[in-house]
Amino acid sequence: MIINYLCLAIIDAFALWFVQQTLFDGVWFLAGTITIITVGINIIFLKRDLFPLRWLSPGLALMLLMVIFPLAYTIYTAFTNYSDVHLLTKQQAIRIIEQANYLPEGAVTYKWSAYRNPSGEYILWLTSEDEDNYIARRGDAIQEYQPGTVDVGALDEDGVPISIEDSERLSRVESVQHINELSQLEFGIPPDIIVISTLDKAASFQQKYHYDSDLDIVRDDETGVIYEPIEGTFTSADSGTIRPSYRVPIGWDNFLRLYRSPALQGPLIRVFLWTIAFALLAVLTTFVLGLFLSLIFNDPLLPVQIRKLIRSFLLIPYAIPFFLSVLTWRGMLNPHVGVVNRILETTISASPPWLSDPWWAKGAVLLVNLWLGFPYMMLITTGALQSIPHEIYDAAQVDGANTWNRFWRITLPLLLVSVGPLLVFSFAFNFNNFNVIYLLNNGGPPMPETPSPVGHTDILISYSFRLAFEGGRGGDYGYAAAISIIIFLVLSAITLYQFRFARYWEEVSENV
Amino acid sequence: MKKGILFTLIGLIILCMLGLGACGGVETEAPAPTEPVAVEPPTDIPVAEEPPTEEPVVEEPAPVLTIWADTLFAPIIEEISRDFTAEYGVEVVVQPMGMDDVREQMKTAAPAGEGPDIIEGPHDWVGTLLEAGVIAPIDLGDKESLLLPAAVQAFTYEGNVYGLGLINENVAMFRNLDIVPEAPTTWDEFLTMADELEAEGVEYRLLLQQGDAYHFFPIQTSFGGYVFGQNPDGSYIPDDVGIDSEGSIAAAVWLDEMVKAGHIKAEIDFDTARALFTEGQAAFYLTGPWNLEFFQETGVNYVISPIPAGTEPAKPFTGVRGLMVNAFSDQLALAQTFLTEFWTTEAAIQQYYEATQKPVTLLSVRETIENPDLAALGEAGLYAMPMPAIPEMSAFWATMGDTITLILQQQADPTEAFQNAAEQMRNLIAEGQ
Repeated sequence: MIINYLCLAIIDAFALWFVQQTLFDGVWFLAGTITIITVGINIIFLKRDLFPLRWLSPGLALMLLMVIFPLAYTIYTAFTNYSDVHLLTKQQAIRIIEQANYLPEGAVTYKWSAYRNPSGEYILWLTSEDEDNYIARRGDAIQEYQPGTVDVGALDEDGVPISIEDSERLSRVESVQHINELSQLEFGIPPDIIVISTLDKAASFQQKYHYDSDLDIVRDDETGVIYEPIEGTFTSADSGTIRPSYRVPIGWDNFLRLYRSPALQGPLIRVFLWTIAFALLAVLTTFVLGLFLSLIFNDPLLPVQIRKLIRSFLLIPYAIPFFLSVLTWRGMLNPHVGVVNRILETTISASPPWLSDPWWAKGAVLLVNLWLGFPYMMLITTGALQSIPHEIYDAAQVDGANTWNRFWRITLPLLLVSVGPLLVFSFAFNFNNFNVIYLLNNGGPPMPETPSPVGHTDILISYSFRLAFEGGRGGDYGYAAAISIIIFLVLSAITLYQFRFARYWEEVSENV
Repeated sequence: MKKGILFTLIGLIILCMLGLGACGGVETEAPAPTEPVAVEPPTDIPVAEEPPTEEPVVEEPAPVLTIWADTLFAPIIEEISRDFTAEYGVEVVVQPMGMDDVREQMKTAAPAGEGPDIIEGPHDWVGTLLEAGVIAPIDLGDKESLLLPAAVQAFTYEGNVYGLGLINENVAMFRNLDIVPEAPTTWDEFLTMADELEAEGVEYRLLLQQGDAYHFFPIQTSFGGYVFGQNPDGSYIPDDVGIDSEGSIAAAVWLDEMVKAGHIKAEIDFDTARALFTEGQAAFYLTGPWNLEFFQETGVNYVISPIPAGTEPAKPFTGVRGLMVNAFSDQLALAQTFLTEFWTTEAAIQQYYEATQKPVTLLSVRETIENPDLAALGEAGLYAMPMPAIPEMSAFWATMGDTITLILQQQADPTEAFQNAAEQMRNLIAEGQ
């Protein structure tokens, strides 16, 4: 019991620390999720009635963190201007903005040497360009050095003393080691302060921008201009802006932008139709080949060892990392050095433009996908075939059904009952099969005369990648999230429709 | 349908049970998870104890600088930085990464406080990383005069310098000396030579990588084309897209003629091109110093010359690679000092040159280089211009590659293709704002 509470306390402490850290970084979405999870765990563990839920709590917590949180975050992101330009949170952006310095007009820059006394306090010896020397201390006015007024040690060849009072001069090496610390310090008293900027330069640098959290504005101390936050950018009245911008919610703008985008008026219909065609053909070709192979190797006439051996060989395409095989295919299909065309040229003297002709390119994508996908179909159909009861075939044989009839009337319908839902999932997978499209031909060959760059083999997901990440000013995550939500809606509509077939096959199986 | 939901639920429950199996073990061994947490209080105790001891000489941990660098350069930077550690007692840790990984990870890691102090990368990252807010300006001070002006210029963005350039690279015309003895100085001369080579049965006259706007750029500029217009101070104007300018279209038309004549072929990618060139099947290859080592290994008899001129000299892009400082680093001053004090010394840069065999930007070392290849590359880069670092360049990369491919594959009229590309770029830029 005590151990329980102890564990809970530790989890709470850790969560509290984590939430505080993430809030500090301005990542309140993650902080919120962690809070919900922690509160949930506490309730579950402290309320006796909820005892059974304890065993579910790790799973529920993980589901919340790994599934629900990313989903919710994607939806949230779709309503923000999160992009390469609006990358930071507001706190982070303000931190960077407040780093900027300026040198007031007429300010002198100095060379400096630092001195440190035994208790670790620093003094600066400054030399201006006119060879005037000054001594700068923390919290004390900067004084010009007059010989005899301050107790300094012997001067070196540059006229810089080796010590000032009880402070020893830092060597150049020591100055480098302590430069972080030194650069944080202000010497002198405001407004006359000296700050070290580089190893050779100190001057009265002033912080250029100050953020006023009450008014939510940034003030430029050099020019006096006021910047107000507009859509994640501090903007002045005459539309001057301060870098960097930060991310803020922008409502439906990403969706409106997609709606108004010239990309929509152009090739979207063609891309959409090709996506459907690609997904359907990809499932069909891999399923037909996979089923054909599994039927052959399910034949009891073949010795078991040989069947097993060949089956394992056929699984190889499935085992090789797909990005390797896709890139290898890309090389093999190259018309100049590719092995495929060399063979075709010598045998049937044909050299198909695999990657540059719109139709051949579509064929090439399907071909490579077939190579990658058939082992999976072979695996699942082999399993499903072995689960079909043998008596049915015996009965069919008695009724005089030939092989053809047995396949069409018994094997296929019974197979589809168990494999059907997997085919639907396979369709959904190929609908978003970015890897094959992008790696093989980069969506190419390009389509001419389009308002935004697009290729003949681009599917929706690779097209939206182009829109969101190869756009005008780098990656645009908010826009990408908005597009992926639209694709998700389209895909779920199609998938739900397809599940009707699954039900149909189930009815068929009841009648067999 | 209901069955489906039920099954999903059951599946979820099973998953959770499995998770419980793993977590349950942890719960029974309650002391185990306390251990890592138990470490925390002890860290508090020394802090509480420290004030009483109040030692005058505080034993400070040596500062550590971390660098993320391209896998090719990381070991070299690490090796040379040991001299800095020896001299200043500042440790330098170099993390090798894929080149694009450095930039992409930087965008997420730096704001979270997990980025390095310094990154290594090409200068055209500056625009994107600066707009994102993750790199800090540096003050070169009097070290600026020691560096190649073009290298400083490349890292300059709106008046501030955002990196220290170490090496620069540009493309040039490589040719196989066994096939072509003389270098063409103009594209007209090239055409004459290419016709002769065709008669001699040389299959590949000029290798131009498909879908590659970077390698096409010197051709584009040799006919007077440009990407973005420039202000008198050299900064770029994103609204002035020069892809459909007279010069750019002239270059497109020239490319189309070359493809029609069979002198330039489609479907040549990087690997195909270097294979064809080193096998001695190609006469000319437009490429850069990254191929030098490979060419030397394969023993192809290559020579480097400037890219032929069209109506004016060809201006390839020059890419400067160097070191930039993370704006979120806690050690901005030290990082900047490391760059300006150490990476501008002859000793460090001499080693860097010897290890990389690339033209370094520190003038005193650059002038002593006696490598004929690098000299020839330098000559080819005489009129080179830094790749624009403005974020709008991503619109150029997104559209121009495809456009050049369209011409190479003879799928579009060159004039229309370039006009359409300009339109696409304007759309993308307008949309991104």
